[in-house]
Amino acid sequence: MSLLKRQGAFSGVTPFKWAGLVFAVVFAFFLADFLFCQKAAPVRVGADTSGPNTIAFLHALHGENIGLDCSHCHTGATSGAKAYLPAKADCMDCHRLPLTENPGIEKLDSALAAAPAYPWKHESALPEHVVFHHGVHAAAGVQCADCHRSAGTAVPANAGRGPAKNNSMADVYGGDNFTMQSCLACHRGETASSKNFKRAATYCAACHR
Amino acid sequence: MDRREFLKLFSVTVAGFALFGCREGVFGPSVKAAKKTPAFADFENEVRLALSKMKPAMELVRIPMPSALKTPGASTENRFGMAIDLDACDGCGKCVLACIQENNIPLSGRAQAARGQFMHWIEMCGGVPAMCFHCGDAPCEKVCPTGAANHTPDGVSAMMYKRCTGSRFCGANCPVGARKFNFEDPVDSGRSLQFNSDVPVRTKGVMEKCSLCLQRLQDDRHDFKALHPGEHWRGRGVTTACAAACPKNAIIFGNWLDEKSLLVLAAKDRVLYAPKAVASLDPSIVYMGERR
Repeated sequence: MSLLKRQGAFSGVTPFKWAGLVFAVVFAFFLADFLFCQKAAPVRVGADTSGPNTIAFLHALHGENIGLDCSHCHTGATSGAKAYLPAKADCMDCHRLPLTENPGIEKLDSALAAAPAYPWKHESALPEHVVFHHGVHAAAGVQCADCHRSAGTAVPANAGRGPAKNNSMADVYGGDNFTMQSCLACHRGETASSKNFKRAATYCAACHR
Repeated sequence: MDRREFLKLFSVTVAGFALFGCREGVFGPSVKAAKKTPAFADFENEVRLALSKMKPAMELVRIPMPSALKTPGASTENRFGMAIDLDACDGCGKCVLACIQENNIPLSGRAQAARGQFMHWIEMCGGVPAMCFHCGDAPCEKVCPTGAANHTPDGVSAMMYKRCTGSRFCGANCPVGARKFNFEDPVDSGRSLQFNSDVPVRTKGVMEKCSLCLQRLQDDRHDFKALHPGEHWRGRGVTTACAAACPKNAIIFGNWLDEKSLLVLAAKDRVLYAPKAVASLDPSIVYMGERR
C-alpha cells in the first residue's frame, strides 16, 4: 500500500478515473453480452392473438361443456403418437354455422375471417431422446388433464415470446417444472392408489432412444 | 512508461480481449450458417472405402438357436435378433449405407478412415456384415459406470446416449469391437447429416453402436399398444434398416421367441453360427449356414 501511495496511484482524482476505467471495461463486457449473445430460443409458439381482429381461444368454451372431446380438435390425441393442433378448416366445421339463435358476434366473425389457415403452431418441448406416445397413455386410461393440468384457460396471446406462463394447453406438462420424475411417478406405480394406473415400463429404452 | 500509463494500457487491452471473446456471438450465426455439411455422395464413397479396407473374416463356431434371456425381468415373449444368411450374402454393402441413413451415422475423420476406422455400425468382415451381436450376457453393459449401456427386457442391448460420459470401458470390453466412439463432435466437425429425424445425433464423447433399430421397435410397440390395448406385442411387422435394404434378403430380423416370426421360420432348419469371441455370451444376432 505504502508503495502505491508513494507512487500516487490512489491520490487526487486518479481513483475516480481508475474506477471509471474499470467500470467501462465491465460495462463493455455486459453490453457485448447483452447485444450479441444468444437469447434462449422460444420453445412453444401459440397463436398470435395480439392483433385487433383476433380473440384468444378459450378451452373452457370448447371442451366438455359443448360435448367436445380433446381429440376432436387435437387429432391423434387418443390414438396417435402426437396430438396435432387444428387447422382453421377444423374450426370452421362448427363455426360456419350460427352458434346460437342470437345474431353473430361481429368480433368473432371478423376474427375467424382474418385467421390464417393454420392458426396454431406447436413445437414439442420434449427432447429428441425422449419418446412419448399419446395413444399408449390414453389406452392405459390416462386422461388428457392428468398431464395437461392447466387446460381450460386462454391460449397464449404472446406468440413467439418463449414459454408462456399460466397459459394452459401450450404449457403442457406443467411447463418448465416438468421432469422425468413426473413420468416416473406413474410408471413406478406410485400413483396406483390415487389414480388407478397400472405400473408401466421403467427400463431406459422404453421411453428413451 | 509510468504506472498510470501501464494500468490504462493494461485495462484497455483486457477490455479488448473481453470484446474479442464475444466474437462468437457477433459472428457466430454467419459462421454456423457457413458450416460444412457432407453430401450424400460422401457417405456412399465412405462405404466404398470401407468395403475396400474390409476386415478379415471372424472365426465362427456353431451355436444353438437363441432362447429367452436368463436375466431377471426379461420378457418371455420377445427377444429380438437377426440372422445373417452366409449363403445369400454377397457383400454388396447396401446394408451399411441403409444403416447410415437410418441411424444418422457420421463420416469418420480422414485420418481414421485411412487407418480403416469407421463409425459404421455395420462393418464387413470377410464379405459378411457384422454388427453388435446384442449378447444376452453383454460384457459391455457390465463395465458401464453410468448405466448408459443396458439391456431392454426384449433383448436389445441399448445405448442411452444422454447417460454416456465417454469412459469407453464398454468399447474396451467388447470382444468384437462393435462400439464406435465420437472423439469429435460430428456436427461441429461437419461430418454429420441427420437423415432420420427419429434418431438423435450423437455428440462428442458418446459411444454408439447398432441399436437393432430401437426407434422402429419403440414406434411399433407404442402404436400397437395404443390400437390393441390388452394384447401382447410380439414385434411382428418390424424390420431393421439393414434387413429391409438387403437385395438378397440375407439379413432377417425377427423375434426368437415367436414361432411365426420370419426369423424363426428361416433359422429353424439351418445351422447357426456366431463369432467365437461372442459365442459363449448368448448373442441375439447369428449367422445362418448350411441346411440341417
